[in-house]
Amino acid sequence: MSNMRQITTIQSAAVQVSTIIGVGVLALPLIAVRAADSGAPLVTLLGLMVGYVGLFAITILGMRFPDQSIIQYSEVIIGKWLAWIGNLFAIVFFAVLTSLAAREFGEVVVTSVLKSTPVEVTVIVMLLLASFSCRNNIITFTYLHHFYFPLILFPGLGIVVLSMKNADLINLQPIIGNDPSHMLTGVLTIGALFQGTFIMTLVIPAMRKPQKALLAGFVGLLIAGGLYVAIVVAAVGVFGSEEIKNLLWPTLELAKATTLPANVLERLDAAFLAVWVTAVFTTLLSSYFLTIRMASEMFRLQDHKAISTFLLPFVFILAMLPTNIIQLYAVIEDVGRVGLYITIAYPGLLLIISLVRKKRGNQPSDNVMEPLH
Amino acid sequence: MPINSWFTSNNNGTKNSPQPASPSLEKLQDQTISNSLEETLQVIQGVMQNEDDLLVRRFHVFAQHPAVLIYYSSMINQTMVNQDVLKPLMKEMPSEKVGTEQLHDVILNDTLYHSQVNTDDRYTAVIEELLRGNTIVLIDGLTRAIIINTSSIENRSVDQPATEQVIRGPREGFIEMLDKNIALIRYRLLTPELRIKTMEIGRRSKSRVAVCYLEDIANAELVNEVFRRLSVIDIDAVLDSGYLEQLIEDNHHSPFPQVQYTERPDKVAANLLEGRVAILVNGSPLALIVPSVFNQFYQTVEDYTERYLLMSAIRIARLIALVFSLIFPSLYVAIISFNPELIPTEFAVAVAGGRAGVPFPAVVEVLIIEISMEVLREATIRLPQQVGGALSIVGVLVIGQAAVAAGFSSPITVVIIALTTIGSFATPAYNAALALRLLRFPLIIISGIFGLYGVMIGCILIANHMLALKSFGMPYLTPLVPGNFQGMKDLLIRAPLTWMPERPAFLLPKDKKRMSQASIDEIKKTKPDIVGPKANKEDP
Repeated sequence: MSNMRQITTIQSAAVQVSTIIGVGVLALPLIAVRAADSGAPLVTLLGLMVGYVGLFAITILGMRFPDQSIIQYSEVIIGKWLAWIGNLFAIVFFAVLTSLAAREFGEVVVTSVLKSTPVEVTVIVMLLLASFSCRNNIITFTYLHHFYFPLILFPGLGIVVLSMKNADLINLQPIIGNDPSHMLTGVLTIGALFQGTFIMTLVIPAMRKPQKALLAGFVGLLIAGGLYVAIVVAAVGVFGSEEIKNLLWPTLELAKATTLPANVLERLDAAFLAVWVTAVFTTLLSSYFLTIRMASEMFRLQDHKAISTFLLPFVFILAMLPTNIIQLYAVIEDVGRVGLYITIAYPGLLLIISLVRKKRGNQPSDNVMEPLH
Repeated sequence: MPINSWFTSNNNGTKNSPQPASPSLEKLQDQTISNSLEETLQVIQGVMQNEDDLLVRRFHVFAQHPAVLIYYSSMINQTMVNQDVLKPLMKEMPSEKVGTEQLHDVILNDTLYHSQVNTDDRYTAVIEELLRGNTIVLIDGLTRAIIINTSSIENRSVDQPATEQVIRGPREGFIEMLDKNIALIRYRLLTPELRIKTMEIGRRSKSRVAVCYLEDIANAELVNEVFRRLSVIDIDAVLDSGYLEQLIEDNHHSPFPQVQYTERPDKVAANLLEGRVAILVNGSPLALIVPSVFNQFYQTVEDYTERYLLMSAIRIARLIALVFSLIFPSLYVAIISFNPELIPTEFAVAVAGGRAGVPFPAVVEVLIIEISMEVLREATIRLPQQVGGALSIVGVLVIGQAAVAAGFSSPITVVIIALTTIGSFATPAYNAALALRLLRFPLIIISGIFGLYGVMIGCILIANHMLALKSFGMPYLTPLVPGNFQGMKDLLIRAPLTWMPERPAFLLPKDKKRMSQASIDEIKKTKPDIVGPKANKEDP
């Protein structure tokens, strides 16, 4: 039997980064600009702070119970039945998140590259890919994220760097925006884009050094959030806030507007979208993995493989419920903000109760872990 | 030493405890030789059914004890039997008369001039030794048969490895005979820690399988696992190491090889030194190396014998060829059919012009040319060497040119396919190249359906499979994922030897040190100009 505690700190940071960076990046500048015009980078930064609150709640909880996931320790903290309700909400929420991400990317693909393909096909392909890859254990799951992490980060950074030559500093001023009244909603919506941090609850029980989880989460979120802010800065810098309001996916437009030196590829948007498949895949993988792992733990199943196939049709139906892109984005923003109750308020509550009731799990011993095998 | 060890271990029957090799041996299980010569002879001849090459020579030991010599005339060294067995037994008269009770010891200790002699009293053991090409001496009144190793089987000489040629490096390759192969490894690693454990696998082939490892380097649990996986194999015959490979690998349905094979003893030695385990099979010139990770399949021996800077560049070129052979045709199909706006306009126009007369969509065109290329490749391997070269030129040049002229395919397609095929041959490991070459067909089809999106989906599926794959519990993409800094120095580039003073840690070697720090410091010191131009000593 191989040792299941073998995820390193770097790997868990990589899981964070590749989970968070996903399809949300494509519409991110639009959401930020709608909230505060040229204050978009600031809104994104504040959203990142909201993300950090959620991350700290879930990570500190995880470090108090280093051998358990949220399903198991919530039952210890607030009792079986209350935990059951909270966990059921979390499972349903991540199933919905999976379906919305798949639908959103499906829409992007059929709108920009595969114009005559039905959206159902692109959605089901992404969902199949995610459910097929979810059949592995947490170690292989981490390997997947670790492997795709550079493939996600560098194209994103590349687009930012290449588009900078078209950027104009005046577009970014004033940095607090012209009308800060909508800022709070925007901050919460963008904060919801960082809900991937919830994956820490599954990663910590497999970490070699759970005491370093906070560091891993902090660095991971910093990298992902840094890329988010950089993309918003680049998009606003290149297009200006008024222009972005007319663009559905400003990041994709940013890719369209940039060219590689020496004109190797004339346009980058299709290539960028192709590379972005990996980013969307890792996000889907994480949220679907969360769904099925939490569900199988809650129902005390030995194996999560069967449930991965079983849940797929439901997730697919959920994904097809919004009738068009406008409605889809309205749903995404609502679900995201409601989700903050699940990804921030629920762990926060658990943390406070566990502090009050002085509940904690087994602390890992300091001795060196047995190597693999 | 190795020969003795297998010789004795078989007779003692401790390992691989007597497994019925055949129905006729099963009947004789646990029966021992009687002291009547005629009776014993009858039983043996009954089993052997008087084969034409089974020789039974009657004679008298020391001119008094009736005896027989039995052997397969096709498998023995005749001179050895005459000179070292028959001659001393008939001629070397002991000074006093020897009774049957002392005969056994006298023959073993004083008479026979042969170092590999053994005795046994079980019929099964005697018959198995006979089948192996050894000579049996039965003496009237003695209840133990004398077994003398006289087997001599024709073998080819140690030759250049046919499939793994190098410009710089040893020129020896393994042959079919296990003992020669062991010798080729042993003389490279003159250390008593080199363990070569042999066992027999195959009910009917009784193939000798040797497991080689370095006791003080290889991880003990890895070695145990290798033995465990080998010991559960129960098959009628192991005719090549390829049989074993398929029986011990982790994932039997993966296209990717999880066990490396090589016919180079120097490669085996290098892998043993890294802490891996090698498996050799009698009758196969290919050794298996476990565990194997993906990066081994694009590395060559030359990477280490030639200067690191050049070989690093060549290794990267090899890796690019490997990736190209997988995705190049599908990228072409995706860009031409779905996103022609990606490529520069002039080139797009040229491609469109070339494709003007082609009636099929790009995916069909590429598939047709790919399949005909695979057919040509397979045909060239099967053809006799004398016509192979000529036909491949006809096949590739003439058919390619004619296909374009006939409007069957565009010239750029032919260029793409030719590049892909050549790229797949740049990979040193045939089985890894084959895996990627096979996988490019589904990629082409999916790219014809979904364009670049499909190519990415296909690549993600392949990458996910590779990430989930393991070889003896070791993740297939180590040292990339999970990351290992020591191993990464030998991943894309080949770092200088002085940068790699430790063995790759992911193999969990017991002894980590490869080079001592003192030696590295000394090597890195600036060298004095010993034979540089001497400062104006002999100048006029």
